[in-house]
Amino acid sequence: MSKKQLGFFVDVKRCIGCFSCAMACKNQYHQEKEVVWRQVYPVSEEIYPHRQSAWLSLACNHCQNPTCLKVCPVKAYFKRDKDGVVVHEQDKCIGCGNCIRSCPYGAPRYNPVAKKAEKCSLCWQRLDAGLKPACVQGCPAKALQLVDVNQFADPEAVQYIAGFPKFAALNPSVRFRAPSQPRVIRR
Amino acid sequence: MATYNKDKVEKALSCPLNRRKFLKGLLAAGVLAGVPGGLLRAVASEAGIVYEGDYQVFRNACPRNCYDTCSIKTFVKDGVVQFIEGAPESSFTDGALCVKGFSYPRRIYSPDRVKYPMLQVGRGSGKWRRISWDDALNRIAQKILEIKKKDDSLLGLGLTKYSGNFGITNYGVEGMMSSLGYTTRFVGTPCWPAGIDAQNYDMGNMWCNDPEDMVDARYIILWGANPAWCSVHSMKFITAAQERGAKVLCIDPVFTQTAAKSDEYWQVKTGEDGALALGMCRHLLDRGMYDKQFVSEHATGWEDFAAYLKSNITVEWAAKKSGIPAAEIVRTAEEFAQAKPATIWIGYGLQRHVNGGATVRAIDALVAMSGNIGKVGGGARYGHLFTWGFNYHALVQKQPEGSKGYLGQTGPKGEFDTGQGAKPAKYSDRAVNINQTARMILEAKEPPLRMLWASCKNVFSQDFDLNMMKKAFEKLEMVVVVDQFFNQTVEHADIVLPVTTLFEEWTENVSYWHYWLSINEQAIKPMFESKSNIEIASMLSAKMNSLSPGSCTFPTKIDTKKWMEKEFNAGIYKLFGISSWQDLKKGPVKAKLASSASWSGLKFATPSKKYEFKSELCATHGHKALPEYMDGRKPYGPYRLLTPHSKFNIHSQFQNLDWMEEFNSEPYVYLNPALAKEKGISDGDMVKVSSKVGQMTIKAMITDNVPPDTLLMYEAWFNKNPYNVQALVDDTPADMGKYKTGAPGVAIHDQFADIARA
Repeated sequence: MSKKQLGFFVDVKRCIGCFSCAMACKNQYHQEKEVVWRQVYPVSEEIYPHRQSAWLSLACNHCQNPTCLKVCPVKAYFKRDKDGVVVHEQDKCIGCGNCIRSCPYGAPRYNPVAKKAEKCSLCWQRLDAGLKPACVQGCPAKALQLVDVNQFADPEAVQYIAGFPKFAALNPSVRFRAPSQPRVIRR
Repeated sequence: MATYNKDKVEKALSCPLNRRKFLKGLLAAGVLAGVPGGLLRAVASEAGIVYEGDYQVFRNACPRNCYDTCSIKTFVKDGVVQFIEGAPESSFTDGALCVKGFSYPRRIYSPDRVKYPMLQVGRGSGKWRRISWDDALNRIAQKILEIKKKDDSLLGLGLTKYSGNFGITNYGVEGMMSSLGYTTRFVGTPCWPAGIDAQNYDMGNMWCNDPEDMVDARYIILWGANPAWCSVHSMKFITAAQERGAKVLCIDPVFTQTAAKSDEYWQVKTGEDGALALGMCRHLLDRGMYDKQFVSEHATGWEDFAAYLKSNITVEWAAKKSGIPAAEIVRTAEEFAQAKPATIWIGYGLQRHVNGGATVRAIDALVAMSGNIGKVGGGARYGHLFTWGFNYHALVQKQPEGSKGYLGQTGPKGEFDTGQGAKPAKYSDRAVNINQTARMILEAKEPPLRMLWASCKNVFSQDFDLNMMKKAFEKLEMVVVVDQFFNQTVEHADIVLPVTTLFEEWTENVSYWHYWLSINEQAIKPMFESKSNIEIASMLSAKMNSLSPGSCTFPTKIDTKKWMEKEFNAGIYKLFGISSWQDLKKGPVKAKLASSASWSGLKFATPSKKYEFKSELCATHGHKALPEYMDGRKPYGPYRLLTPHSKFNIHSQFQNLDWMEEFNSEPYVYLNPALAKEKGISDGDMVKVSSKVGQMTIKAMITDNVPPDTLLMYEAWFNKNPYNVQALVDDTPADMGKYKTGAPGVAIHDQFADIARA
């Protein structure tokens, strides 16, 4: 049996782009202005034909092979053995920005007040208390779920969805289900 | 009881790794794998706050004017709200809030809050000066006494209050006014009155099924409703129904987020929903695909309605009017009639028209003839006030002895007025139409309106015809606004008084959609010098009585927790199956319903006790007795202007917060690519939108979500931004609303405007 690797299942079919997940994160962590751990991105019209009607809710992908961890000169990142969560220890961070520049998914952000990096922690403190991550619990559409990606076998789930860049070497711990389109009758 | 079953939703929406399995897995992982790692490594540090555990937990409820009225769990440490969650005990809230709700921790501690009573030296000048509560109340009380002396009544004092805070004790604002004497009241509601009257004519009340039973529907029409934005917690029931095989059709002039989640979307011509519904009725009549037992045994006026359909309505006519092809109307009418149960969610948007009440009656008729009224998973869903039977202890206050007021007819003061049908006193308040606030201020005579008190209400954001409102306010001698932020109404005030947020006061909350009851505990001490509405009333009373003994009957000392308790009664306890409000500290409770279906016994509250396809009462009130087609408003400008709700705010609340700006930074006007091309407008261009009442310069966003003949702007108040859709919207009434709410609704979506590059 492969090792446990927690990650987000983003059910784009159910997602209503309501930003509750993103605000649930702010509600939990009160990040500084423009330091966003989770953001909700509209899928472009080339991919989904209706503007701002399908969304990708994205945070840190807690990659199997995290770049942030590799490039950090002071070992401020570690990957939890028990569940694969990638944790950033801010007290070790020197704010060099290597992780911010290296992560192709843009997960680490620069905190201009602390002058350090930070990113989605997958709410590991909540996990350790037996709770769901704030964003997952806060999703009213049940579109965001926490899964063990190594056990997750939903036949409709994919690792890379149109609009989400493929960086196979990182092996991001995230899964998606594609949105559906209604039959449209226009006058 | 055949009602919503949490298992049904969880089963339909289940994830391979469900919660229980997941927790078990974590436990195992923690024991087997976590310990060695944990011993080797110190707890990681983070910026700012993290989840620490050991919180004091309080029960709260979101009191905004929203379907969802969420039950909240508030986590407090060191007297500070750290974060909040949705209450897991409510199967409606189900542990989640929304983008607005989750911004509350910022709202409480926002640097932009009104912190102290303040005096503006020159309205609109922005020159605010902090004053003491005593000074503020003294100025206000002196003015009230001056008015009374001048006019020999307090009709020169007006109250405008609506839905800014639906916590039950906040009806103490109306109570405060009554305790001063007979005053002028802005009555009615801009929200949903035409539909309320329509459902009252048809069924004798507005009473919807439990929204949680939508999971049992086989066919759902979301008609003019956008729950993906305006009732996000309802979506899981709709999604679960879909995943159990139900079909979802969204009918809306705009391709909304809800449309994107539906199986089918119809872009109906704005305001022609009634024609569409009647076309479907006609087809079902022709095919005999209607519930013959229901129409003959449980309804009156069926024969007349059938005759009306036969002589006045055809599917082809409905297709022409609505823009939906006849073949689609026919196919869908049949699918809807064959699906059992089938339901229609009637949104509030489609009744904000000059023919809005008539439209709702036509849709009700479709649901009724298809035999879906009174059915679990069925129903013509609009709203309900079934759970609102509180004492309104704060509301019911006596006028001081010898008070003089208005002599004449008076009606209900809004949809929540419990005094309906009470014997008129010799004097009464002067009721004026809240949907024509500016016009009423300008026209009020003998006495004129001299002073306005606004609470739970942002007049400049929510009332119509901004330019007229500015003129109207010039006429007022004193304006007092009770609020939390320096919004556009506060800009036009003399005095602003800081009011508590929901976390700083005791009250209780219910919904007009779901059937849950929540207690709202005071979780933290009021910030700065903020006071709850009832505390403000008691303080004003103390000041009034010190200046003029006997001039105000409102108790001068109140215990706000006790006042919360005083709203409960045996009926509420019985309905919710609790023995005391204390039980609510364990979490919200749901009404014990005989069925999740409204009207399940098919005993209607109409004069005939049956469903009335033909309502004589409706005719008595100046409308058609039958749900006949009614023409929409004649266009007075080249493009239709729609100003519906955004997902980032509820009316003028939330969008002003810096947390919200991070996700939605500025307003737009949305227009179709064809119109943009014709006008030479590119995405992101600044454009001028003008209507007969005003104009606005704004950035354009181009999308075919909006039809080519339509301009769309979401109503909102952005901080430090003059954006205001009411600059373009006039105050033309809807057809219905006066019967149950005291004033007709307003044709918010029957507006027209032009657009050009700025």
